[in-house]
Amino acid sequence: MSEVLRKEVVYLITAIVVITMIADYFFGIKQLNDAASMVRTWAVVISAMALALGAVNLMRAHGNIVRKRVPGRWIYSGVLIFIFALTTLLGLLNINNPSTNPLYKWLFDYPYTSLGQTLYAITGFYIASAAYRAFRARNIDAALLLLAGIFVLLKNAPIGEVIWVQLPVIGGWFNDIGQVPAMRTFLITAAFGLLAYGFRTLLGKERGFYGEVATA
Amino acid sequence: MAIIITGRVTAFIFLLACLALFYIFMSLSKKGGKVSIRTFPAVAAIPEAVGRAAEMGKPIYYSTGYAMETISNPDQGPQTLAGISILGYVTKLAARSGVKIHYFTPIADSLPLVEETMRNAYLEEGKPEDFDPTSIHFFSGQSPMLTATLGFMQRERPAANIFMGGFYYEAVVMGEAGNTIGAMQISGTANTHQMPFFIATCDYAMISEELYAASAAIAQNPDILGTIKGEDIMKLVILALIGIGFIISFTGTTFLIDLLRM
Repeated sequence: MSEVLRKEVVYLITAIVVITMIADYFFGIKQLNDAASMVRTWAVVISAMALALGAVNLMRAHGNIVRKRVPGRWIYSGVLIFIFALTTLLGLLNINNPSTNPLYKWLFDYPYTSLGQTLYAITGFYIASAAYRAFRARNIDAALLLLAGIFVLLKNAPIGEVIWVQLPVIGGWFNDIGQVPAMRTFLITAAFGLLAYGFRTLLGKERGFYGEVATA
Repeated sequence: MAIIITGRVTAFIFLLACLALFYIFMSLSKKGGKVSIRTFPAVAAIPEAVGRAAEMGKPIYYSTGYAMETISNPDQGPQTLAGISILGYVTKLAARSGVKIHYFTPIADSLPLVEETMRNAYLEEGKPEDFDPTSIHFFSGQSPMLTATLGFMQRERPAANIFMGGFYYEAVVMGEAGNTIGAMQISGTANTHQMPFFIATCDYAMISEELYAASAAIAQNPDILGTIKGEDIMKLVILALIGIGFIISFTGTTFLIDLLRM
């Protein structure tokens, strides 16, 4: 199949899938809904295949690092390959329900989850550090941001209510009412952006979607 | 049974109107009608970031974020795809300048597309041999990706970080860590809850639909620019609807709400 034809086929498949899914959302036609349901099932299967490709890529990349003994990296890559192999093996031993394997469950519940939670917890420090830089009254806009930030901070900190009982009320207004119109504006504009992006993709104009490169 | 599901009639008409507008402006633009969109400072800064990396002899880091770990997610997937579109452009510039680019992701099903995009970028620059598949780093989850990226940042001290896609809490952590090491940072996300963090931590930030429009700004393709114009017209329509709704709400009538819910 020529390169041009190959691309056209991909555009065509994308267009058919997009139209089917849009029509499924709006129309209550049984045959159409069945077709859309089938497309969704295919999507799950294709995603699983892509996941397998991801795993192959992971092993290839880290296998190369170990083979070349890349300084400072190969040990970590070796650990990754070992854990990957171990988890896969444990999962395959109880293929119908891997979580029933105690070692598999332990690996997920204790090392993985607790490390993830620890990392999530340090986000607070990063937010404080970012806020320190953002909340500088360099101009009127920044000063207004700082003022709103202080009210919201004092709403959430117990000391706010101790200082003045109305402080949490003002902070609550910024939190629940003041920022809502701006956020909704962003949501609406993002929806239009998404719609236009989808339309360009549908017509094969948004080439990045197909692995092609946008050029200036 | 009605052919169009009840409650979705107005949305369907609205969708058709949007698509018709996009098509009309695309056609007008193709026929020579001038459509220009404002320059996105974040997009204009990308060549500067690549140039900085070339001068410093350091790499560029690129990530499309957590994005619920799949491109199938209806909210996050398109952001990842838009991010990958921009990745192609950045990779092309990097290939031209001989700058190494590292891509970080926890999204397994995006890997084939990322590899294809980066490979094509190197190919178009006539340097297919420079493409290194090991520069695409996949991590099995949000926190593992974040930990690894922070480690990479501390060890390699990249000249620039570019974050484009559906970010979650990693936005503030990666942004702040990158800021600490003095990297030039460009970001873009449509996730409203993460925009403030990018604005606070990055030198340039694209917000909301700018992420989707960025590839149009890069390509300057009349077809693509036409849809941006159509998008702007629809925004005006929505603005008018909000204004009318606000005014008639004082009369107590629910006509507009009923119409939109039809």
